[in-house]
Order: sequence, then structure tokens, then C-alpha cells
Amino acid sequence: MPLFALVGFLVLLAFGRRIGDPVAGWIGTLAIAGSFVAACITFAGLSHLPSGAREFTQTYFTWISVGGLHVNAAILIDPLSMTMAMFVTGVSMLIHLYSIGYMKKDRDYSKFFVYLNLFVFSMLILVLANNLLLTFVGWEGVGVCSYWLVSFWFERDSAASAGKKAFIYNRVGDVGFLLAMFLVFSKVGTLNYLSVFANRHVLAGGTATAVMLLLFLAATGKSAQIPLFNWLPDAMEGPTPVSALIHAATMVTAGVYLLCRMNEVLALTPDAMWVIAIVGGVTAFVAATIASAQQDIKKVLAFSTVSQIGYMVLAVGSGAYIAAIFLMVCHAFYKGLLFLGAGSVIHGLEDEQDLKRMGRLRKWLPWTYATFLVAWLSIAGVPPFSGFWSKGDVLTNVYAKSPALWALGVVTAVLTGYYMSRLFFLAFYGKDRWKDPVPGGAAHHSPHESPWVMRLPLVILAVFSALAGAFDLPWVHHYDFASWLAPVFAHSLYLDHEGTVAQWVLATIDAVMAFVGIGVAWHLWKSKVNRPELERKFLINVWYWDDFYDTVIGRPSQSLARFCAGVVDARVIDGAVNGAASLVRATGSQARRLQSGYVRNYALGIAFGTAAIVVFVLSRTWW
Amino acid sequence: MRVALLIASASLHGGIAMPHIAYLAILPEIVMLGGAILLLAVASLVRSALNVTVITVSTLVISLASLAAALWQFFDVQSHGAYTTLDHAVVLDGFSVLVTVLVASAMALTALVGDGYQRREGLAGPEFNVLAMVSATGAMLMGEANDLVIVFLGLEILSIALYVLAAFNRRRAESGEAALKYFLLGGFSSAIFVYGIALTYGATGTTNLTQIADFLAKNVVVSDGLLLAGLTLLLVGFAFKVAAVPFHMWTPDVYQGSPTPITGFMSAVAKAAGFAALIRVFVSSFGVLRVDWQPIIYALAVVTLLVGAVLALIQTDIKRMLAYSSINHAGFVLLGLEAAGALGKVGARGVSSALYYLFAYTFMAIGSFAIVSVLGGRGDAAHEISNYKGLGKRQPFLALAFAVLLLSQAGAPFTTGFWAKLQVVAAAVDANSVPLAVIAMVSAAVAAFFYLRVVLLMYSPKKFVSDQEGDRLENLDASGDAVASTSAREPLWSGSGRQTALVNELNATLLLESSPETIEVPDEREGDVVNVPVLAVVAIGICIAVTVGFGVFPAPLADFAHKASLLFMP
Amino acid sequence: MTLTLLAAGGATIPDIIVFAVSAAVIIMGAFGVVTSRNPVHAALSLVMTLFGVAVLFIEQDANFLAAVQVIVYAGAIVVLFLFVIMFLGVDRRENIEAEPLVGQRPLALIFVGVAVASLVALLVSSHWVTGAHGVVGPINGSVNPGSPGAPSGEVAQLGKQLFTTYLFAFEATAALLVIAVVGAVVLARRERRDLEKPSVESPDDEPSSDSSEKEVLR
Repeated sequence: MPLFALVGFLVLLAFGRRIGDPVAGWIGTLAIAGSFVAACITFAGLSHLPSGAREFTQTYFTWISVGGLHVNAAILIDPLSMTMAMFVTGVSMLIHLYSIGYMKKDRDYSKFFVYLNLFVFSMLILVLANNLLLTFVGWEGVGVCSYWLVSFWFERDSAASAGKKAFIYNRVGDVGFLLAMFLVFSKVGTLNYLSVFANRHVLAGGTATAVMLLLFLAATGKSAQIPLFNWLPDAMEGPTPVSALIHAATMVTAGVYLLCRMNEVLALTPDAMWVIAIVGGVTAFVAATIASAQQDIKKVLAFSTVSQIGYMVLAVGSGAYIAAIFLMVCHAFYKGLLFLGAGSVIHGLEDEQDLKRMGRLRKWLPWTYATFLVAWLSIAGVPPFSGFWSKGDVLTNVYAKSPALWALGVVTAVLTGYYMSRLFFLAFYGKDRWKDPVPGGAAHHSPHESPWVMRLPLVILAVFSALAGAFDLPWVHHYDFASWLAPVFAHSLYLDHEGTVAQWVLATIDAVMAFVGIGVAWHLWKSKVNRPELERKFLINVWYWDDFYDTVIGRPSQSLARFCAGVVDARVIDGAVNGAASLVRATGSQARRLQSGYVRNYALGIAFGTAAIVVFVLSRTWW
Repeated sequence: MRVALLIASASLHGGIAMPHIAYLAILPEIVMLGGAILLLAVASLVRSALNVTVITVSTLVISLASLAAALWQFFDVQSHGAYTTLDHAVVLDGFSVLVTVLVASAMALTALVGDGYQRREGLAGPEFNVLAMVSATGAMLMGEANDLVIVFLGLEILSIALYVLAAFNRRRAESGEAALKYFLLGGFSSAIFVYGIALTYGATGTTNLTQIADFLAKNVVVSDGLLLAGLTLLLVGFAFKVAAVPFHMWTPDVYQGSPTPITGFMSAVAKAAGFAALIRVFVSSFGVLRVDWQPIIYALAVVTLLVGAVLALIQTDIKRMLAYSSINHAGFVLLGLEAAGALGKVGARGVSSALYYLFAYTFMAIGSFAIVSVLGGRGDAAHEISNYKGLGKRQPFLALAFAVLLLSQAGAPFTTGFWAKLQVVAAAVDANSVPLAVIAMVSAAVAAFFYLRVVLLMYSPKKFVSDQEGDRLENLDASGDAVASTSAREPLWSGSGRQTALVNELNATLLLESSPETIEVPDEREGDVVNVPVLAVVAIGICIAVTVGFGVFPAPLADFAHKASLLFMP
Repeated sequence: MTLTLLAAGGATIPDIIVFAVSAAVIIMGAFGVVTSRNPVHAALSLVMTLFGVAVLFIEQDANFLAAVQVIVYAGAIVVLFLFVIMFLGVDRRENIEAEPLVGQRPLALIFVGVAVASLVALLVSSHWVTGAHGVVGPINGSVNPGSPGAPSGEVAQLGKQLFTTYLFAFEATAALLVIAVVGAVVLARRERRDLEKPSVESPDDEPSSDSSEKEVLR
């Protein structure tokens, strides 16, 4: 399955430049389509088996066998990994297709697809790996691809620095992953998931908590949760399909996947689960407030992504793994759709991303408008779209865990409806503000609808966004998503014990809240464009989160660097010498004198060494 | 050789029984030495001078034949076990096979690199390759010697050939200077080594390694000062050869002065052979005395690790920098040796980790020096580190290859360098030398700086030359990217918590680097694109393939080293 | 100290006197080699040392080795040295008074002194397996040692050792000699264009120092 993506990557790497526009794109898309088909076949094969037997380890070769560490290059096929693989390849395929149109005429057209294919390959490795180390390889792989793709337009300073930011934030998270891996290995002696689970009693107590919190740190980096969340909005500097694929649908959910994968260990540690649930809930809320004040269409969507992943994390923390995965899949559809729609808008307006300079686009971009409408209703949680079901599932479970967190979730749901509607109204209703000239720039031409390769994915995603809820309708419990995934979580699944009535009540509240949010936004933003009282500096500036980091970490280290640069200047250190070496130069001119170039001096060194060793030996024989 | 043997057996057949000779055990040496002498003879007999291609091809054939013989040995050892031959003067075991394989491959790679070098420098004649092959024979002898006399002879064959090779390019004054220094100091250390052999003989009555071990096992030496003195002097001789601090001082000068392909050969083969003999002598013969020699190795390892890493930081010449880096690597192998002093399984692990390290280092070193050689330009002189600035733009593939090799030397994951460091450090931890392991990690962290410095320099943009304040601050940002991309392959074990700090520090480093004195490069050189010989590309490719291939799939090589240490016959 | 060793091994008074005298000769010669200003004197001091060693060999009953020592080393090799020195000119004197390196000589004295003293201290208190009188002498009666004309036991023993235990070492020495000859030829042969400028320079003329600027430290 990952092989297709790898082949695509290699072919494009080797011949990409020669093939060029647009064939390279088609090859990339076909490769991913191949992966998708392979995933579907495996899926079909798996679903024919009885539910208890749906677990395979396919070992390819012994990858590492060093000392006590034995790691096979092997994939684990079970309902969880197959679900992930299916939706990753499926969504990727559509986004590849979309990119063929979007990236047209870009200078590095083939390079883009090289990165994308490599990304999908890494993502599949991450998802299918049967051990932590291989997962980590995929984890790093997607991280590197994300870095390359974010700074794809590296000529732009902001793109380059956004890439850097994403990279450093992820590094911090990776430390957690590595430490967790070492901890697991030192306790259990293996990194294989199934063996770790089989021996999970070894981890019980503090170790499990430590492992899971470290992994959660990794997840906060990758999945953009507090405290490592604010790289994601900056990552929007990348091309829009990248934002859709990596920073909305697939990569950012890797953290959630990791936590679900480790569910059996997670179940051992209620403390860690509380931490995860609270962080998830708070992130969801904070990100939603920020999203309601942003002007850049992609930034709104980015914060919305952070918020939605917050929901997933909240679900994981509540033990509702299936709900988390369900939301992840649905989110991939509608958020991918939103991003692609936004891309279509940006494309149509020739790279305009400011919401305040859009308006009345429904007249000009009918396809985009229609599909965006579906996505909007879905994410806002309006029944019967998929968002309603998946978010409802999460909130029901959270209610059982803690009504307080549930309340936070519901408030967030209102906010979600609000900010999404704000975006929608600003972009597609009101006056056609893109006609207004800007100071220092001309007015835009009439927007144009995108070519069919871009529209087709929009339509397909719209269909799924609308209907994906059907995977897990509460009243069909026989052949559905929940029972499909249940074996994976058999040891740790939280069983919701709310009565049917309670479930219906909660669902109704969800729906009402969605409408409240939309209604408020309708009232406020239908015709107005600027409402400064609602767009507080505090929110626009992301709760001053960046400034906080800047003050606490960035500025001191920067002034330290400046101090080094200013004081330990070129006059003191003549040349290519760095900090550590300057110490050597300043204190150890003797050390340099030793290396004088005279043979007799070198012989002195030998004599010294000999004398030292002989004296040592002598001292041993005498005492 | 053969004739001498016949005469000997003819005249004395009544009096003495000739020792049995298992020719397989010395087959690689016979092939290598015989081939070298044959090549020399043919070259002097034919009327017209042999051209470089013929010489290179025949050298390759000889080296590969020797390699094949070594592999044959390996299968033989695996099926029949280890044995000694020639009256116990030579031992064939997994350990010696690994050293032979390593040396033969290094020889083949050096021939590939040397081809382009000889053409560029206009060196005619087969002597370059012949000397290298004889030197390789000496190294193989050291690997399979089971007698101190053979160790010494191997050492001398190896060294004398290297002295001459160091001076080979006589158009460079540094070359002659380096050779003379190497010769004088080498002679000095050889004298100490021989004295060590004599004292050991005095204490045990034999020079045979197996018999020394037997003697020490059977007799409890009460006042063993003589033995320890012998051991010490042997250690000094070896420490000189492997460039352990404080016996290292010749290294930078000699590495800098020697022809670059020879520097690569020297760093890989001389070090490997020296360590092989050192490990065999100390672990198998003097194993009983481990409490005496382990602390010495410990101390040597500490100073070697630190001095190598710190002094490499301040070098401005790439060959000197790599010389100090090789000293640092020697410290890591000493780490393995220190662990090899432990008893039982832990000791075997130490041996295998040291062997693995040597194997990994061989390919990294030869590959790195091959690139340096290619970039040295006519006259083999352009070795200022500042010349590497912007290489990524000028020669992207060469720069990428160099970056990979340097990162591997720094111990980046998924390269052999990483596994090598991991293994020696793990072995040291197993042997309860935790402080030593920590020092090794610190030195690796320091070492990462100077490797990354070169990598960053290769990929830094041209505007870096500017020394204006505004540009500098801008550079801080631009360079940060390069930093981020390289620290992706930061050594895992060195504590990734440092990483943000590392980024900051590197930024500071780059600020300093952008000062005009060092970075200023004559413009004409900036645009120079060096012509890369095809054979050198093949050699570099092989080195990269081994470094990355066995880095991603470490199992086969680790297996090989493990088997070698299991079949290690004391 | 070695005297006590010798005494322990059954040495007689004449043995001890011979040893002391030849040891003094050896050491004096060795000092002469490194301190003589005139290279010819240095070479002749080397002869002195080699003769002293030969005497020690005789004292150990190693007559054959003593003869070889005199014939090959003192006779052939040192004569060759002298030829070379004469070819290059005897009037060149090295100035070894000035020592540009600070502390080089005192440090060298200290280190070498400490190393030698410690070694001696180690050797004194040790158990020797070899070297005692009982070990040397005719070896298990392989050849009749007393009869004139017959090969002495020592030579036979050496030959036997050379072709059994040290057979491989013997063969490896051949390789060593070959490489030494080849190396010498490579270094000595000059291409025509090399003749114009001297190729090998004395290392002390232009030391390459570790620092970027080449400074001579004084």
C-alpha cells in the first residue's frame, strides 16, 4: 500500500523535472489512487473476517537487530489502521487531483508532487507501523515533508520563517516521543505495539502516566494543541492544498491517532486521561475564540482546525476513542473541503486571503459556494450533516466523563457555529468588496470559477461531508463504525451508559447550539463588515501567545545571541570560531602552543604520555 | 618467498618439522602482496610506461580478489571455526576476517579515488598503488597476527609504506614535511613498541599471544612490574598508531600534508589495523590484567574524546578538521575497547561495538576524504573550509554527499555513524562505565558543531559574505532555516532537549562566521566547478551506500561484527 | 639493580664487571650519537654502542648474534651511514644550541627521566622468566656443542626457530624489505623537472602550526 506512494515519489524524484507540468501531477495522483485502491481491497478483505480476527502483522524484514533492540519493518493491519489508511489515501487522492489545477504554472510543479507523495508515504508508514520506532520514522517523515511544504515558497520570508516555526515546535514535541520510546523500551524491552500491550501490566502506575504524558507532548506538537499550537496558523503560508492535506485532514490528526493507538496503555492511567481531556477542551475553546476574530480566511480555518482537534483530544481523554476517530474522519472530509473551497476562492481572487476584501462571491463562484455551504453546515453541527453526528458523539461521551468539560464543549460548539458563519457570510454574502480599490493596490478583476480538476474533489468531498454521519448513526448498531473499530479498543473502551433519552436530549442541545451560533452570526455579520468590539486585539493576536513565548523564551535567548555577537566579536575571535572554541582560544593558548609543528615537540607529547602511563602503572604495583 | 621456503625445507628436512601452513588463512595477504609485486615487476619490464587506467584496473582486480578471499575465509570460519596456523603465528577467526574485509575494501576504494588524483597531479607509474597495496598487506597482517613479532612486522610494513606515500607528491613541500614528521615519530614509537615486546617476552618467555594468555592463566605473577611495563610500552606504540591523545600530535600535520586519497586510506586502514591488533593483544592475551589496563584506556578515551572534539572546532583547514575528528573517533573506539575489558558477554559486546565502529568509520572517512580530494583542485591545495561555502549551489550532489557523510560522522540517525556511536556507548554503559559514556556523548555534541558548521557553510547563500550589520541580522533569520533542516538529523542520543538551544547557538555561530576575514573568498573560486572524476563518484557512491544503507538496515553489518566478536579466538 | 638480577642468576664477579663496563660504553655511545655536532662523530658513537651490545651478547653466550651485530651493523650499516654523510659533506654542522621552543628541553628531560626511572623501578621488582643463566646455553643437545667445526648449538637453534616458530615472521620480513627498497627508490628518484627545486624540506624550516597564522613561537 505505501509502496505505491513510494514508487510515485521515486519516479517523480527521478524524472519529475523532465516530465513537468501537468503529467507529473497525474503520475502523483495515480500513485496515490493506487494506494487507495490497495487500501480498499485490504479493507474489504478485512471486513469479511469475523471481528475478533481482524488483526494482522505483516512482517517484511528484520530492520534493526542491535543488542537487545529488535525491530522489524512490519505493518499492523487492524480496523484502526485500515480506517486511517483508507481516509488518508482517499482524501490525499482528491487533494492531489485538486493540486493539479491549483499548482498549475508554479515553477516547482513537479517538486510539489514529489513532496506530496513522500508525505503520503510517510503518513502511511506512521499509520500502519506495528511498532513505535517505525511510527516515529513516519512521524519524522511527515514532519520533514510538512516543513518543506510550508516553506515551499521559500522566497517569501514569512513562508521560510513559518516553516522554521513549525519545525521547532514539532521538535519540542518529538523530544516527548523519543523519551516515551526510551521509557517503554527500558521497561518492556520491546517497541512492538502488540507486545507492549500484552505486557502492559509492567507499565502500570507512574510509568504509564509518564509514557502517556510524554506521548501527549508529542501529540500536542504534531496536532497543534496547547501549549504548542500556534505553529499551525503560521503554517498556512504553504500552498492551500498543503494546508488542506497536511494541516487539516491528515498529519495534524497523527497525534490523536497515536493516543488512540496507545489506548491500552492510556487506560492504565486516569491521571493522564484527565490531563489530556482538559487540555483538549481548553484548546478547543481558546482556538474557537481566536478563530472568531481573524481576518485571513485561512487563519480562521487553521484555528478552527486546532479547535476541532481539541475536540478529538477531549474525546480521547474521555475514553471515547471511537468518537475521536469518527470525528477525525468526518473532520477530514469537511475541513479538507473548507480548505479546498478557500483555495478555490483565493485562486479565483488571485491570491486574496483577506475576508474583508471578499463578499458576494456566491454569484461568481457557484460551485465553490454550494460545496462550501455543505461544509459550513457540517462543521457548525447542523443535522443531518456529518459534523452533527460526530461532534454529538464526542459531546455525549464527554458528558459522561465530566459535565463541566461538556459545558465547555457546548460553548465551543456555539462559537464554532458563530465563526464559521461569520466566515461564510463575509465571503459569500454582502457587497462585492473585492471591487474596492485598496490603498497601494488595484481592485481585483472579476473572480473566476476554478477548472474541473479542482471542482471535482470539492463535489466528492461535499457528498462525504454531508453523508459521512451515516457511518455511525446511533440507531444502527449492527454493521457500523463503532462495532468495526471496537475490537481495537476492546480492553479500554469506555462504554457510554447514558440512556437513550439522555442521548436524545444532548443531541438536541447540540443542534440548538449550532443554530444559536449561526443565528448570532447571521444577525451580526450578514451585512456589516467591521465590528471592532467583537474583534478584540486580544483575540486577533492569539491571546498574545506568541508574545508570551517571545518574552519568556525568545527574547532572552536572542539577547544572549546578540550579546555573544556584540561582545565576543570578530575582533576577539578571528574567524570561523564558535562559542565553545572561543573558550579554548582565550584560556588555552598553551593548548595551541603544543601543536607547534616541531617534531621534537610532538615527541615530547609521546614522552609525556609514556611517562604518565608508566607512573600510573608503577603506582598500582606499589600500592 | 616461495623459493626461500623450498631451499629451507630442502636443506633442513631431516632436522626440523616444518609448520603446517593453512594457505587459506594468509590467502588475502598473498593475493595483495603478490599482486602488488607482480604489478611492479610488469610495470618495470614493459617498454612503455603503463597508463593510469591499467594500473587502477589491476589494483582493483587485486583488491577485489583479496576481498573475495577474505569472504571465502569468512565462510570457512563460520563452518569450521577459528584456527591458528603457521605454528600459531597467524590466527584465522571472525575478527581477522572482518579486518581483512575492511582493509581490502578500503584499498579498492582508495584505488578508485587515487585514479583521478594521479591524473590530476600528473603522477605516473605504479608505485602509488603498489605502496598502498603493500601497506594494506601490513594492515591485514596486524589483524590476524597471533604473535607480537608478526604484529610488529605488520605495523612496520604498514607504516613504512605510509611514510613513503605521505611524501608521494613531491611537488608539495607540506607533503615531504608531513612524511618526515610521520617517519621520525613513527620510528620513535616503534622503538618503544619493540621494547614493549622485549619486556613482555622477558616476563612471559614467549611472544606468541596464545601462549602469553596461557602463561598468565597458569601462573599467578606476584610482582608483575615487568609485564606491566611491557604492556604499557605496547600500548604506547598502538596509541601512536591509532592517534590517541597525547600520542596524536602528528595526526593533523600528516593528514594535512599527505596526498588526500592517502589521508583517507591512512585514517581508515592504519586506525583499523592499529585498533585490531590493540584489541587482540589486550583482550585475548592480557585479559587477565584487565584491572590494570582498563583505567589507562579509560583515561586515554576521555582525553582523546575531548581533545579531538575541541581542537577540531578551531580548525580552518578541512583536512586538519577531519584529522581531529578522526582523533575524536579514535576516542569512541577506545570506549568500545574499554568495555571489551569486561568479562563475558559484555566484553564480547565491547569488541563487536569497536569493530562495528571501525567498519563504519572506514567508509565515512574514505568517502569524506574522497570528496575533499576531488575538491582540492590541482595541486591538492584548496582545503580551506571557507572554500566550501556555497558548495550546495555549485555542486549540489557533491555537497549532498559530503553533508551525508559529515552527518554520519556526527552520528545522525539512520546512518552507520549513529549505530556505531550507539553501540560503543551502550557497551560502555553495560560495562558500568557510565561517566565515560556521558563524556562520549558530550564530545559527540561538541563534535556535531564542527560537522554541522561545514554543512551549513555549504548551504549558505552567497550574500553571506557581506559583513554589514543589517545583513548579519538578516542572516540570523535566513540561516535559521538551514539550521532547522540540519538539526532534523540531530543525534538522537545526545539529548534532544538541547535542540532549541542548539539552534540559537548555531545562529550565534553563524553570526561569527560571517565576519569577513574567514568567509571572504576570491570571486573566481566562488564560481569554480570542479570536474569530478567518474571513478571518484563511484567510490563516493559506495561509501554513501554503505553509510546510509547499513544505517537504515543496520542488521547485516551488526551481525557481521557480532559474529566476528563471537568467533574471536583468544 | 640489574647486578642483583645477574647475581641471582648465578653471575660471577667477572660477569658483573664486563656487564658494567659494556653498559657504560653503550650509554656513552648513545649519548654521543645525539649530542655530537659533527655527524661523523655521531656515526662513530653509534659504532661504539653497537660494539657494547655485541659484548653483552657474548656475555650471554650468544656468540653468533654478537658476530652478526658487529659484521652487519657496525660493519655494513654504519659504514653506509658514513658514506652518505661524506657524500653530503662533513662540514655541515647542526646548530643545536638555540632552542626556540620554550621549556622543550627541561620538559623533555623531566618526562624522559620520569619514564625511565619508573620503568627501571618496575623492572627491579619483577619476576623474570627469561635471561637467567640456566635458560641459555646448548639447547637439549640437538647438536654436539663442543666439537670444533660443527655448527654451534646457537646457530642451529636460531635456524630452527627461524623456520618453525618464526617462519611467518621471516617471510613477512621479506615483504618489509621489499617495501623499504621500493619506498627508497620512490623517494630518491627525481623527475627531471623536480631537479630544479629541492623537494623535501627539513621539517624545522617551516613548521606548519595549528593556528591559522603561521607564527614561530619563541
